[in-house]
Amino acid sequence: MDFDVVVLGTGLSESVAAAALSKAGYKVAHVDTNQYYGGDEASLTVEELAEWADARASDDPSSDYLANQRARYTSITRSQTIPPQSRQYSVSLAPSIVPSIGPHIDSLIASGVSRYGQFKLLEKVAVYDRPGYVQSVPGSKEDVFKSKALSLLDKRRLMRFLMFAAGDFEGKKELEGKEQTPFVQYLQDVFSLKDQATSAIAYALAFCTSAEEPTLPAMQRIRQYLRSAGRYGASPFLVGHYGGLGETAQGFCRTSAVKGGTYILGRRVVSVESSPDDSTKDEKSTSTSHSYSVKLIDFDERLTAKVLVSSPDYVPTSLGGNTSTSKQSAYAVARCVAIIDKPLVFTPSEVPEDTPSTDTDGPTDGPEDEPSEKPEPPSYDVDTALLVFPPGCLQNGSTTTAVHALVTGEGSMSAPRGRYIVNISLSLSESTLSSSAEELLRPYLEAALSLTAPPSSSSVTSPATSLFSLFYIHHTPAAVSSAPPSSSSSVIVTPPSRPHLPTIADEATEHAEAMFWTAVKQLKAAGVQRTVPKEEAEEGDASVEKAGTEDTSPDIDSFWPPLDAVEDETSDEW
Amino acid sequence: MADAASGSTERSVQVKLVLLGEAAVGKSSIVLRFVSNEFQPNKEPTIGAAFLTQKCRLEDRVLRYEIWDTAGQERFHSLAPMYYRNAQAAVVVYDVTKASSLEKAKTWVKELQRQANPNIVIALAGNKIDLVTPSASSSTPESEDEADDATATPGETGTSGEPESLRQVPRDEAEAYAQEAGLLFFETSAKTGEGVVEIFTEIAKKIPIDQILASTRGGQRPGAASGRAAQEGGVNLEENNAKGKDACNC
Ligand SMILES: Cc1cc2nc3c(=O)[nH]c(=O)nc-3n(C[C@H](O)[C@H](O)[C@H](O)COP(=O)(O)OP(=O)(O)OC[C@H]3O[C@@H](n4cnc5c(N)ncnc54)[C@H](O)[C@@H]3O)c2cc1C
Ligand SMILES: Nc1nc2c(ncn2[C@@H]2O[C@H](COP(=O)(O)OP(=O)(O)OP(=O)(O)O)[C@@H](O)[C@H]2O)c(=O)[nH]1
Ligand SMILES: [Mg+2]
Repeated sequence: MDFDVVVLGTGLSESVAAAALSKAGYKVAHVDTNQYYGGDEASLTVEELAEWADARASDDPSSDYLANQRARYTSITRSQTIPPQSRQYSVSLAPSIVPSIGPHIDSLIASGVSRYGQFKLLEKVAVYDRPGYVQSVPGSKEDVFKSKALSLLDKRRLMRFLMFAAGDFEGKKELEGKEQTPFVQYLQDVFSLKDQATSAIAYALAFCTSAEEPTLPAMQRIRQYLRSAGRYGASPFLVGHYGGLGETAQGFCRTSAVKGGTYILGRRVVSVESSPDDSTKDEKSTSTSHSYSVKLIDFDERLTAKVLVSSPDYVPTSLGGNTSTSKQSAYAVARCVAIIDKPLVFTPSEVPEDTPSTDTDGPTDGPEDEPSEKPEPPSYDVDTALLVFPPGCLQNGSTTTAVHALVTGEGSMSAPRGRYIVNISLSLSESTLSSSAEELLRPYLEAALSLTAPPSSSSVTSPATSLFSLFYIHHTPAAVSSAPPSSSSSVIVTPPSRPHLPTIADEATEHAEAMFWTAVKQLKAAGVQRTVPKEEAEEGDASVEKAGTEDTSPDIDSFWPPLDAVEDETSDEW
Repeated sequence: MADAASGSTERSVQVKLVLLGEAAVGKSSIVLRFVSNEFQPNKEPTIGAAFLTQKCRLEDRVLRYEIWDTAGQERFHSLAPMYYRNAQAAVVVYDVTKASSLEKAKTWVKELQRQANPNIVIALAGNKIDLVTPSASSSTPESEDEADDATATPGETGTSGEPESLRQVPRDEAEAYAQEAGLLFFETSAKTGEGVVEIFTEIAKKIPIDQILASTRGGQRPGAASGRAAQEGGVNLEENNAKGKDACNC
C-alpha cells in the first residue's frame, strides 16, 4: 500500500501531525502497535492501565517497542484488585491541564477537533498546608483582594508582581540581568515577597518543580496563565473530558481519517526499512530520495511512503531511533495513579477575619445534607482540581522538589459518580533516583487522602480509601540528535515533551507543527504532489483532484487550512 | 413531553447519533438519504464531513441530530472509542445481501452495550432491501447501479429477476436477534428511501429527552441538586473564541 507519509505512534504529537498532513492533502497511514489510541498520552480504563503496567513490568518484552517502553517506564508497582466499573474510568498516562490561550487550544479550534471533545474548567488550585488544610492560591487581582491571609503590604507587593508578570516584562529593569536567577530568590529579592506568597507563585502559579528554576521561563508561563484566565472562565486551565490528551489525540486522528487517513491499530511493527529510491530518477534532485517500508504483523502488504514520522519507540537505532540502552533520560517523573472513593475537600487554613456570607467565588456547594448557609470556612469539595505540595511541606517528602496532584472526577467524565482519580507527579533529580516511585509518592498520597476527611465537618469522618493504586517512574527520552532534521531523508522523530501538567499539551502541539513543516519540506523535495483540498482549489468544482503534474499544488501556507464550510453543515428540518 | 408547561419545549435537543457497520453496507448512503433525500450511485466518497446535523420534529419535540459517520477507521478495526462516547443513539447497519455484515453488526452492538452511554438507543438496519424486493413504486432507470460487485449484475435486468435469491439475511432472523438484544429494527433501502426516515423518527420517540436535557450536551442548566459535578464548568471552546487576549483578568 502506497502512501505519502507513514506515521508511527498515535501519541498527541503524531496525531496532531497526522491530522495536519491529511488536511494538507497528503495520503497518510497512521499506525499504532497498541490496541488503543494515544501512545504515551493515552487515556485508559483501569483494566487497560493494569495491563499496560504489567506489560512494562514484565521481563519478557515481546517487541522492540515494548523493550523501549520498558526502559522508559520503571519502578512499577500496583495494587492487585481492579475496582468495579473499570470501564467507566479514563486514566491519563499524561495528566495535563491546558492553558486557555496557547498553541494547543489554537490547534484544537483551527483544526475543528474542538467540536469532538469537551472540556471542563479546572475548579481550584490549592497549596497543601497540613493534614486536612490547604492554602488557596490567589490567581487574580480579585483573589488577592479577597484573600484574608495576606496583610495589606503583602497584597500591594503581590499586586505589583502580578501586574508586572502580566505585561511585557522582557528587557524591563526589574528583570534585566536576572533572567537566569532562581525564581524563588528573584521573587524575594525584587518583589520582597514572603515565603508563603513566593511558594504559591513559584509552585502553584508558575508550576515550578524546584526553587532553582530560572526566572524568565517561569515568568513567561505565569504571563500565559494570567492571560488565559477569563477566556472560558475564571480558571486559566481546561481539563479534557475522558482523560484529556488521550481523547484529544483520538479527535485529531478522526480528523485525519475524515480527510482520508488510513488507521491501523493493534498491529506490531515487524520492521521499518529505508531504501534509496530508484523510482524517482529526477534530473534535478541530486539528493538521494529515500522511501520507507513498514511491515506490520498479520498484514500482508507493506506500507510504503516517502516520509516517515515516528514516535521514538518505533524507530530502529539504525534509522536514528530511540537508543533505549542509553540510560540517560532528559527528564524523569515519578507518578502515582490512585482511585479514591471520596472527594478531596479544600479547607483553607487561614482563619477568616470576618465572615462574609456573601462570598460566593466558585462552587460553594457544601455537602448536600448540611444547611448550606453556614458561615463556616468556605471549604470546597472538589471534583476537578489541583493540589500543590511545595518542597519540604511533608516531613517524609521531598525537600527540594514540588509535587503536583491532579484530581479528576465525574465532572470531567473520567470516573464514575463518587469516585476520583488522583494523579500525582514528582520530577526527579539524581538524588531521588535511587528510591522507588512508591516510596517517593506514598507520603503524598496519604497527605492528599487526609483532605478527604475535612476537619470542619462536625461528625468524625474517615478518609477515603484507595481502591486502586499504581506507582511508576516515567523517563522522557533524551532528544534524538543523530541526524540533523534538515537532512531531507531522515526519519522525523517526535521530540520529547516534558511531562509537566500545564506545558505538555502546548509543547506536544508545537512539536507536531515542527514535524509537519519538516514533513512538508521532505515531501516537496521528494516530488510528492498533494491532493489540493477543494476549498483551496481555485475552480470551485466540488470534487477533489490529485494534481497531475508538478508544481500545480500551491505551497502550503499554514499549519491548518481554513475549516470547510461543509464540515458542520446544518440542513433545515424536514 | 413530561413538562410541556415549562414552555421550553421549543428548545431543540441535540442528539449525537453514530453510524456503525461493515464497510460498504450503506451507512453514508443512509445518512445522505435522510439528510438530503437523495441517493447517488456514482457519488465520490464524501471526504471531509466532520458530522452533519439534521433537525427532526416529532409532535411537540424537536431533535437536532448530530450525525457522525465513520471515516473508514473501522476498516482495520481501529475505530476510536471517542467516536461513540456520548452518543445517545446509534444506527448499526448491515447489508441484507451479505451474511457476514450481520455478524459484524452484532459485534458493534456488543461493543456499544459495553462501552457506550448505558441509555443509548440502538437501531439495527438491514440495508439494500431494494435488491431483494421487487420494487413496486420505484423502478429506477439508472441501470448502472453502483452497488458492490455482488449486486452489479441484477441491476441491468431491473428488479424483475429473482431478487430473493440475493438475500442472505432472513428478516426473521435479524428481527429475532434485534428483539433479544433490545434494538429497534428496520429493513431499509438508501436507494429507494424505504425505511430510512422511520429509523430516525422511531429513535426520536425512544430518546429520553428529559435525561439529555439534564446532561451536559443539553446545554440547559438543570437543577443543581442532581449530580452537580457532571454539569458544572463545561466549556465550549468555540465560545469566547474571539475574546482571546482581551479577556485578561489582571
Ligand atoms: C451524508 C453524509 C454524512 C457524512 N457524515 C460523515 C461523518 O459524520 N463523519 C465522517 O467522518 N464522514 C462523514 N461522511 C463522509 C463519508 O462517510 C466518509 O468519510 C467517506 O465516505 C470516506 O469513507 P471511505 O473512504 O470508506 O469511502 P466509502 O464511503 O467507503 O466509499 C465506498 C463506496 O461508496 C460510495 N459512496 C460513498 N459515499 C456514498 C454516498 N453517500 N452515497 C452513495 N455512495 C457513496 C463511494 O463512491 C464508494 O464507491 C459523510 C458523508 C455523507 C454523504
Ligand atoms: N442497491 C443499493 N445500494 C446501496 C444501498 N445503500 C448503499 N448502497 C451502495 O452501497 C455502496 C456503499 O454505500 P456507502 O453508503 O458508501 O456504505 P458505507 O457503509 O458508508 O461504507 P464505508 O464508508 O466504506 O464504511 C455504495 O455503492 C452505495 O451506492 C441500497 O439501499 N441499495
Ligand atoms: Mg461511508
